[in-house]
Amino acid sequence: MQPLIEFKNAALGYGRNAVLKDISFSIEAGDYFGLVGPNGSGKTTILRAILGTIHPLAGEVRVHAPSARPIRFGYVPQRDTVDYVLPYTVGEVVLMGRYHQIGLMRLPSQKDREIVRETLNHVDISDLHDRPLKELSGGQKQRVLIARALASEPDILVLDEPTNGMDLSSRISILQLIHSLYQIDRLTIVMVSHLLDDVANYVRRIAIVDRNFFQVGNVDDVLTGENLTTLYQMPVEVIHKDGNKVIIARGPDGIR
Amino acid sequence: MGSGEIIRTILQEFPYALFGSMLVGTVCAFLGVYIVAKRVVFLGAVLTQVSVLGLALTFLPVFSLPHTIGSLLVTLLAVVALSRLLTGKKTPKDAVLGSVFVISIAARILIMQKTPKVEVSEIENLLRGDILFVTPELFYPMLGVFVVAMTVHLLFFKEFTYISFDAETARTQGFRAGFWEMLFYVIAAGVISVATHMVGDIFVFGFLVVPPVTAMLLMRRVRSIFLLSVLIGLATPAVGLFLAFVFDFPSSPTTVALASVVLAAGWCVSVARGR
Repeated sequence: MQPLIEFKNAALGYGRNAVLKDISFSIEAGDYFGLVGPNGSGKTTILRAILGTIHPLAGEVRVHAPSARPIRFGYVPQRDTVDYVLPYTVGEVVLMGRYHQIGLMRLPSQKDREIVRETLNHVDISDLHDRPLKELSGGQKQRVLIARALASEPDILVLDEPTNGMDLSSRISILQLIHSLYQIDRLTIVMVSHLLDDVANYVRRIAIVDRNFFQVGNVDDVLTGENLTTLYQMPVEVIHKDGNKVIIARGPDGIR
Repeated sequence: MGSGEIIRTILQEFPYALFGSMLVGTVCAFLGVYIVAKRVVFLGAVLTQVSVLGLALTFLPVFSLPHTIGSLLVTLLAVVALSRLLTGKKTPKDAVLGSVFVISIAARILIMQKTPKVEVSEIENLLRGDILFVTPELFYPMLGVFVVAMTVHLLFFKEFTYISFDAETARTQGFRAGFWEMLFYVIAAGVISVATHMVGDIFVFGFLVVPPVTAMLLMRRVRSIFLLSVLIGLATPAVGLFLAFVFDFPSSPTTVALASVVLAAGWCVSVARGR
């Protein structure tokens, strides 16, 4: 089967400056793919290349649409990158996910508004439709942004640090929502995170990224103590407990 | 002079002043909502000063252009230059804007030194912004700019709001965020330069900021914010002109002062509501 996204020896960066070199991997339809790495490692650069907002400096990034129309990305940005000055309601924000389909100089149809309501219902926030986005909690805002991405009826859902800065219960709740979109809705998902525990126990395949380090494969093969020790340059252990992976880093003096 | 007589005088003797200032108030109050939301208020101040510089340049014999055209060209040039400079990483954005702001003022002062005395007083009139001097030659270009700006913004309201709210995601859906951003600033530059020539920089900058902030304090919906801001932009110049007649004040500062009183009242209401 043809992959949806294919990187072939891609060099990625900005201007003439390559942040990452010789990157090769693919994302299949129905995949749940995690991108992890330290801050500044180039995760967002790969994400932008997937989304097509930057082009490779060398090599190739191929996107194979699953149907006759161009591939549709449902992008969920980091919560703090959207603008909260104007009090857009949840319904208005989710409707933005339909704007591309609505087209220029056209008003949203009844069908578009119906899709917005269905999507809000799907992510369990139908009661928030008329609330201003800026008044919501971090977890609720994240659900709204996921709903907006789903409203675009995407082929791939791409999430950038979806659990960053959340308390434990909101974090687990969001991760379970994303997992249900993968498992029940059979959506292809790409998730970027620097929180290893979040990725380790949910995604199916993973890429570990740093400027001079890139490994991709199944979670059990790639997310090893050895790889993480190389990546973070400190002793890191991956412990298996009740079917879950727990990642523990030791400081230089051995304190966990 | 009684109120009725003042209103009659304004309508009969100064219709272009009245309707011109209402046009400028409306369009600036509308664009100002985006300018405040995008956190580029200082850019509004910079563009008004650049447009005054453009006006001043046309008083030099070497740039014998019509004032509005000169102001428009210099402001559009500044927008294009700023779009490059503001995306660079070497210099902070506010430092770039601050430099352009101060350079525009300094250059204008130097130009005025080399301009015949009569024309200096004309530039000073422009800066003081006496709305009463609005002529049909100034009014009709402004009407044209108003129609173009409002038509484009109403036709592409979805695109402008999406790009202003979350340009990154809009880009992933195929929206050319750079194009829409540039279109916004080109329209803003056109409005600011023509309006500054007509009613002065205090009026223009005042209405880019004060009505939108008032509306944001009072309204809980985006469309209501645009609507209230536009209503303030429409009504305040008319009342301001009336008060300028009553108290024999310069019309432009009177109008901005009135808008500021509305802002203060809005702030009190917002505090009373506990927002």
